[in-house]
Amino acid sequence: MSELMIEATDVSKSFGDVRALDGVSIAVPKGSVLGLLGHNGAGKTTLVNVLTTMLPPTSGEARVAGFDVVHQSYKVRSRIGLTGQFASVDEALSGFDNLVLIARLLGASKRQARDRADELLEQFDLTDAAKRPAKTYSGGMRRRLDLASSLVGRPEVLFLDEPTTGLDPASRLGVWETVEKLVSDGTTVLLTTQYLDEADRLADSITVLSQGKVVAAGTSAELKAQVGQRTVTVTLDSVSEVDTAVEALTGIGMHPVAEGRTITTPVTASRELANVVRALDERGLEPHDIALGEPTLDDVYMALAAA
Amino acid sequence: MATLTWQGSSYLTQVKVLTGRSLRKFVNSPALIFFSILQPVIMLTLFSQIFSSITATANFAPGMTYVNYLLPAILVNTAMQSSLQSGVGLVTDMKDGVIARFRSLPIRLSTILLARNLSDLVRVAGQLLLMITFGVLVYGFNPAGGVLGTLAALGLALVVGWGLSWLFLAIGSWLRNAELMQTIGFLAMFPLMFASSAFVPIQGLPGWLQVVAKVNPLTYAVDAARSLALAQPVTGVIGALTTSLGIAVVCAVIAIRGFRRPL
Repeated sequence: MSELMIEATDVSKSFGDVRALDGVSIAVPKGSVLGLLGHNGAGKTTLVNVLTTMLPPTSGEARVAGFDVVHQSYKVRSRIGLTGQFASVDEALSGFDNLVLIARLLGASKRQARDRADELLEQFDLTDAAKRPAKTYSGGMRRRLDLASSLVGRPEVLFLDEPTTGLDPASRLGVWETVEKLVSDGTTVLLTTQYLDEADRLADSITVLSQGKVVAAGTSAELKAQVGQRTVTVTLDSVSEVDTAVEALTGIGMHPVAEGRTITTPVTASRELANVVRALDERGLEPHDIALGEPTLDDVYMALAAA
Repeated sequence: MATLTWQGSSYLTQVKVLTGRSLRKFVNSPALIFFSILQPVIMLTLFSQIFSSITATANFAPGMTYVNYLLPAILVNTAMQSSLQSGVGLVTDMKDGVIARFRSLPIRLSTILLARNLSDLVRVAGQLLLMITFGVLVYGFNPAGGVLGTLAALGLALVVGWGLSWLFLAIGSWLRNAELMQTIGFLAMFPLMFASSAFVPIQGLPGWLQVVAKVNPLTYAVDAARSLALAQPVTGVIGALTTSLGIAVVCAVIAIRGFRRPL
């Protein structure tokens, strides 16, 4: 078994009466990507903050790159990169100056700092904007600069908290390719996201958080198998029928999730499709469309988060 | 990969680099420079013109020009106002996410506060020098203490501002609310400024205000700066310096503690 670069054991974090993390354990082997999925408020950012030494855990233990996040926080911070949900760049400084500043703080000489800054600006396609203040950057450029900032010290472990939120498709793809490149070079990555395609594409294993607890963990394929092989998607004529339909499906032991006039419910076998049709028929509902779908991570996510 | 590129920076480097960053931000912002220059010019112009008739009153020392009386006081006032901006600037940085980035780096958090304090000190030193130059060239500031006395007054104002800047850094790192700080700061500063010996001799104030002015620490700082610039018998310089040092030490400890709390 390969070396663990992130290891959290029974980590809890309370803010007053609110239990943001409740006994979370994760283990991420060197050179792999863990995708942390969950709704807003599920505890993703809190977990990232604990692992990056920003917040002390209320109880439990966590080690990153082999060092304790509470007692060896300095050593942890020497080995990690963090890109938070909001771009942490100095708006008044140019992209170049931002990167030089961080390199200098990490211990680079002036020359090394300038070289590293040039290298990263090139890598993130920011060379043309290098001398402009970061406040003139577009949202996508700012995220790229933020990501570049977290890579200045060539971190062994990279934490990405919703790195592509608010990015256009081209920029998202750029971030994905960067992450894939880093991982192929041996970097370990913990990525939080609300985008399931992102986790599906990048993550070797996925942990689903809900209300501060791990509700599922495994590879993308394992999670899909765990939740059910297939899903039935029912589209109704109007939203007013949704409640009745959800009631009908719940009545036959299913776990439907409604969104707009569409209801999705996991099924274990394709013959359950007949049960769905019958249950709806008994309530006098004639769906606009019924489809049997292969499982996607969305189904996993919705089913688990709703459970 | 997975090799440590750099072994971390020394405390001194951290302070130096972060101080440089704050100063560069200032230099990069023409608007900020413009208003930093404008502020002392306006202050000096307004006060020296509005209150100049005070020289005719009974409590004013005969033969003294108002600008000579006023300028040492304004040095202290400007340093005090700038110290409030120090705390507000820290809170703004915390909001912008820059501090979040610094916190994820292997650096000592106290260097961030120290750098903010030092860079603001450099900035206000520039402002005060400018104010003195303007006072000399335009309003005929010509104190008995000469260049040395004036520089001594400037140094004293800087020490007072430096101490108070730690006070506002401490408030900022616990309060973490820029608007509230501005409000509290101005509420506290106006009485401190006017209920003191800064603009008029204390003897000319109503009785109750004289009591306030006599317990107002700013009175002592202003009197000390004035005594240096005007070559009067030196009063309260040691007191002003030690008080500032005391405030700085206590507040620095409180500031660092407050700043260490998670964002």
